[in-house]
Order: sequence, then structure tokens, then C-alpha cells
Amino acid sequence: MSKVAPAGSGYQTAGEWAPRIVAFTCNWCSYSGADMAGTARLTYPANVRIVRMLCSGRMDPLFALKAFEEGADGVLVSGCHPGDCHYVQGNLYARRRLEIFADLMELLGLDPRRLHFAWVSASEGVKWSELIGRVTRSVLEAGPNGEWLSAPTAEFSSAKLPEPGPPPRTAPTRDANAATTSHLRQLARRLLEEGEVSRVIGYAEGAQSDQMVPAFVETPEDAERLVWNERCYANLANYAVHRSGGATALIAKTCDAKSIAGLLRENQLRRDEVVVVGVSCSGIWHGDRLAAKCYGCDEDVSPLADWTVGPDGTARGSIPAAGRDTSPDPRDAALEALSSLPPDERLAFWQGEFDRCIRCYACRAVCPMCYCDTCITDKHRPQWISAPQSGPGNTSWNVVRAMHLAGRCSDCDECARVCPSGIRLDLINRSLAQGIKRKYGTMVSADPAVKTALTTYRPDDAGRFV
Amino acid sequence: MEQAGWILDEEQWKAWAGSLPASGCRVIAPARGPRGEAAFTKTDDADQIARGYPGKTQMSPKEFLFPRSETLFEFRLAGNTVTLVRPPRSDNKQVLIGLRPCDAAGLRRLDEVFLQDPADEAYEHRRNQTVVIVEACTEATPSCFCTAVGGSPGGTEGADLHVTRLGGSGRILLRAITQTGSELASAASASWARATEADFAEAGDQAEAVSSSIRRQPLPARTPELLEGSFEAPEWEVVASACIGCGICTYACPSCSCFDIADTGGAACGSRCRSWDSCAFGEFTKHASGHNPRPKQSARYRQRLMHKFAYFPSQHAGQLMCVGCGRCIDLCPAGIDIHQAVLALAGAARAAHRGADEGVPV
Repeated sequence: MSKVAPAGSGYQTAGEWAPRIVAFTCNWCSYSGADMAGTARLTYPANVRIVRMLCSGRMDPLFALKAFEEGADGVLVSGCHPGDCHYVQGNLYARRRLEIFADLMELLGLDPRRLHFAWVSASEGVKWSELIGRVTRSVLEAGPNGEWLSAPTAEFSSAKLPEPGPPPRTAPTRDANAATTSHLRQLARRLLEEGEVSRVIGYAEGAQSDQMVPAFVETPEDAERLVWNERCYANLANYAVHRSGGATALIAKTCDAKSIAGLLRENQLRRDEVVVVGVSCSGIWHGDRLAAKCYGCDEDVSPLADWTVGPDGTARGSIPAAGRDTSPDPRDAALEALSSLPPDERLAFWQGEFDRCIRCYACRAVCPMCYCDTCITDKHRPQWISAPQSGPGNTSWNVVRAMHLAGRCSDCDECARVCPSGIRLDLINRSLAQGIKRKYGTMVSADPAVKTALTTYRPDDAGRFV
Repeated sequence: MEQAGWILDEEQWKAWAGSLPASGCRVIAPARGPRGEAAFTKTDDADQIARGYPGKTQMSPKEFLFPRSETLFEFRLAGNTVTLVRPPRSDNKQVLIGLRPCDAAGLRRLDEVFLQDPADEAYEHRRNQTVVIVEACTEATPSCFCTAVGGSPGGTEGADLHVTRLGGSGRILLRAITQTGSELASAASASWARATEADFAEAGDQAEAVSSSIRRQPLPARTPELLEGSFEAPEWEVVASACIGCGICTYACPSCSCFDIADTGGAACGSRCRSWDSCAFGEFTKHASGHNPRPKQSARYRQRLMHKFAYFPSQHAGQLMCVGCGRCIDLCPAGIDIHQAVLALAGAARAAHRGADEGVPV
């Protein structure tokens, strides 16, 4: 796309460069608003190209990413005023989703002057023409959008992020683990013997020392393989989906139980298909380090548990939270360090992270909440996420993955654990979750009946829409 | 055959290896990655090139011959003429230094795939520019199992030059394995001391010591036949039960060679790009009709093992397509151990044969 404007064509330019802005408008209000501007003979910069969609609720963040990737310098999304949506509430969902998307782009270092949101009704031709003038000036100030495709030149690598402080608690003792393991085996044996479940999915010793791997136990005798200790990293919720022939007992930590709740909430699991065996977990440990997600976790096995197993024995239902030593989540300190950087350095940092992505999709495969039959990245017509394992496609993949999980992520951090390139997906997930909590007051709940933040709205939600 | 070899001290080694970039070579050497892991990286730093490293890199060096993604050509349509433009190719020599014997053996497996007639042009060009300097292992990691698949911590397969750091003495045994290797060393080798039989023997002992520290059971000699006969075995469900269907094992593997082709652009212009692909993905075999001949993860995992331990050997005189580097074991999110899986399947097949009393020699 040529970015040199022909003379006298109504483009606003800086030198020879004329920014290109893609505006996504809803059919009913903003598109008509733009039409109104035309019929009223109002003038506004010619830099904008309009893509009409049925509703601003149709606005997938991927559209904005694709526009940037293809060379757009700015993106505008415009819909009906709240309360005026042709489909009653599409714009209200859009407000939440795009607000979180804008937060994410800010974290990733996209210049906020490139991304705009507005409400323009069919009668607001004047507002439209003023809006386009303002957006164009803002994009002109931001300059050409070259960064999206440029090679990373990160000064600030993940090695420079602050180190987590000392763990707030000690690892469980060998005796405590042995006691829990023994109770767990007893319970598994009983569940299998009594026919309450056809299989128990838990952890067993792996081939390498100190490695715990998923174990699929189908006979009472086999229950002797099960173990519990602080190296039981894997979130097993995934393995319960699409199983036929009887119920599955799932060994779950608190974070895993939230994934199970998510799968129940989104109808990927039926409640009678799964027996949740919560373990009272005092955190998982990598070497002598407590996992970051466990620092601030003071929840005991979620209300979802059918059984709870701990060193002291087995109880029906869940055990109320016993209160646990916590200290600030080290991911928050890392996010703070990132947010103190100027946007271009933040962009370079994240481009450096995404540049290492090899698109093995382990993050997707391991995530219980990534269950689509055909993932957006596997769709070819059109190819929304470009296939080459480099720059733009890697960025799109990582942004889309995060957006699809926004408000749904149960914070099990499995994606970050398995990423062979060590991309800080945990920071992205954490940042989105914190933003959602701050803005909408909701966290992912262990109660399947509670809706996730982006599948609901309030009429008075705050947002960037003007 | 008389072995050509030299004994260098660390200074001489560094002077020679460190001077490779200055002589116009693109040098790839092990370095510390962003999280402290060992990773092959392009470098001009003499210290880094000469330093050596423990264990193995996290990813194999295959991407320097078979990149994660590469543009095969760009196309332009003007009028009725289609013009194909190939991306410029570098004629610089590329030196891969510090590969472990398993890494170099892995490159030989890639050669079998890409250099077979008709040879893949992009790969062949890069291969012809490449010199491989192998550094013998001084230790085995828990996932290493090269000795179980016919390799050795001192192996020379795929090497042009071969380096052994002789136990703590600061002496380095450099051997020329191929003509290409000798030529790379020729400028400096006149000033180096010739290695003696005793030096070769010391290197041999050292490799032997590392070998014996690998406690993994060798695969049965008839593994390809045993696996081939176990296609329908229920054990596949068991070994693959934890597989989550990511592509880590195939991407970290030094010998996995599957790729996908994607065209981007429009009718008027665009490009054709080749990227790594993985048989672990459901999409890998999915037909346009929606039918998938490998509908389950266990079928996909079976394909990966069968390809490495049955199909490839049957076409390549029994040579396995696994070199025993163990990277897939280290990185598997579900802790699947390929060596254990093959042993389990081969064992089950053998037991089944016995049970059926078919008189198949095992």
C-alpha cells in the first residue's frame, strides 16, 4: 500500500507520509454517521478506510492486529452509543473486550495513539468528521507504524526482570507428602472398587528423577502408582474432557479446580462426568523455588471439590481455607518493572519474547481452556495468523491466545511452564487478569455458575470509547 | 585408515576457532540463551566459539540447515507472465561448531530426507556451504540415550572435524574426519602437533566412560520389525495417554523433517513459505473433506515413533531416525519418554509374538 498521498487528495500528511487508518464501524450507527457526514458535505481527512461490520460486538481484536500487520498506522472502532445497539447489547460486550484488548496492546508497547474507540450515532455526522480529524492528528503524531515488522532490538530482556523474593512458606515435608499420597491411594482405590469412577487421573513418578507425570489409573491395584508432592506441576483438567465410559476422578490443586470450573461453565464437561479430588496444596516448587503463581495463593481447595485429601486424611467436600502465608505475587513486580519502561522499549521486549516463539502450540495444547476443535491459527481461508514462524505471525498468535483466554484463564500458568522458549506468557495472563479485576471487580471463580468478565457487562462500565 | 589428528592447547584452539568469523565464515556456536539455557547462536566472539559447554543445547541445530520458516520463492503476475523470484542465497561458508555427536548424526538423517533425488535446492545449497565441527560429550544428561540407538558420545557420524577435550588437561584432540574438515583446518594445521596413538586411545577411553554412564537399555536389534507388527497394539493408547498434542518433541528433534507450505499474498504477487510442521498436530493429516486418517492423539504419537523406528529404518538399511539426544524427553510437558515408549512397545510386540507362538525369531 503506497503511503505517499497524491497532491490535493484530502490526505493529511507529515512530509511525504500519509498515515493510513482503518476504521471498523457498525452498520447501524457509525457507518450511517459517516454517511451523514458525506451527505452534509462535511470534510475530514481522507486517511481513513472504513470496514463496515454488522455490530461493534463483531469486532475481533484479530481484525485490528491484521490491520496493523498489513501496514495500517492506526485503527479506530466505532459503534452505537450504549443503549442504542441494534442488537441490544453487542456494543456493551465490545466495550469490555476492546478495553481489555487496549490494555494488552499497552502492555505490549503499542503506541496508544494508534488505537481509538468511539460511539457515533447515525445522526452524528459532525462528530464523525471531528473524530476522524482528531484520530488522524493522533496517528500523525505517533508516526509511521514501522515497529510491527521490525526485528527486535531489546535492551531489556527477561533476565532483567526483578527476581522473586524468598518464598513465604516452606516446601511440604517428605512425611506430609507420604501421608497425603497414602490417603490419596486409599481414596482412589475405594472410588474404583465401588465403581463410583472408571478411572482416576493423578500423578505418578516419571522416568527422570523428581519428575511427576500424569497417571491414568483404571484398576484398584494400580492406585499404588499415585503420588502427591510439590512437583506435581501438570494441570490434569484437560485429560477429563471427551472421555467416555464412566466418570473420571481428577486430582486437582486449587488452580486446576478453577480450570475444571471453567470447563463446566463452558459445557465442555458435565458435572456427573467428573469427581473432583482436591489436594490441600501448599504450592508447587521448581527446584528450591516456589512457583510464582503460588506466592499470593491463599485459597484452599476450591468449593468444587467432592473430596479433599491432605496429610491429615480424607474429607468429603472441600476443606475451608486454613489461612496460608502469602507474599506479593512476583509477577506483579515484573509487570511493574515493564510498565515503568517507555512504550518503545516495552515493544522491543515483547517482540524479543515473541521472536523466540517456535509455534509449537504447547501453550494451546496444555491449556484446559483452549478446547476449540479448529483453532483460529489453523484456519487458512483467510489465513488470519500468518504461518511463518517469525515476527508478525508470532505476535498475532500470542496476542490472540491471550485475548481468547482473557477473563477465562484460571491462572494455572501451565502455558508458561511448558513454553520451550520461556516466553513470559504468565505475565501477559496476569496483567489481563489484574486489569479485569480492577475494572470489573471479577476474578475467575471456582463456581461454574459465575459468569466470566467478558461474557457479561454492566451498562455503566468505564472504557476508552469517546 | 590412518587417522589425521592434532593436539592443540587451549590457546591454539581459541586462536584457530576464534579466527573463523574473520575468515569470512558464518559461525554458529553454543551460547547462553535468554534464560541461561544453552542455545546455538550466530556469533563472532572468539571466547564463545572456543569455550565448550556441558550437556546439550535445548534445541537441536537443525534450524541452521532447515530453518523454522523460509521463503522458497516470491511470485509476481504481470499481464500473462508469472515471474518467480528466489530469495538471495548466501555463498558464505557456514561453520556449525560444538555440535554433539547426536546433533551431527541428526543432520545426516536430514540429509537422507532432503538430499535424496530430487534434492531440495534450498537445503542442498545450505548444506554445501556448511562445515560441521563436532565436540565429543564429556558427560551424559539423564535423558541421553544415544548408546541405545547405535550412537556414541564420541561418535563421528556427520562430523567434518571432531574435537575431544582431553580430561581436564587443557589439551584438545582435533581430528579431521572428511576432506572438507581437513581443508578448513589446513591453513593452521601445519603448526599443530600431530596426535599420537595414545591421544586417540585417551579420547576413546573418555567416550567409553561417558557411554557407560548412560544407563539406558539398548533397543532390541529387531525394533523396526517388532514395531511394524504392533500397529494395532493396545499399548499405543497407554504410551500416548498423556500426550497433549503440542509440537515440542518434533521441533526440538534433530532429525524431524516435516514441513508445511503456505502461500501468502494475492493473485498479483505473493510468496511461498515453508515452515516446520509436526505430526503431533491434528491438522497435519486432516483432509480437505474433514476426514482425518489419524483422528486420535495415540495414532499421531504412533506415527511419530513408527516413522523413526520402523518406516525410516525399513527404507534406510535399518538406520533409525532417532539419534538419542533426549531433547523430546527433557521438554515434553507431559513427561513422555520416547525411549521407554519404544521399549514398552517392542516388549509388548515380543510378548504378543510369543503368545501367538508364530515362531517369529525375537
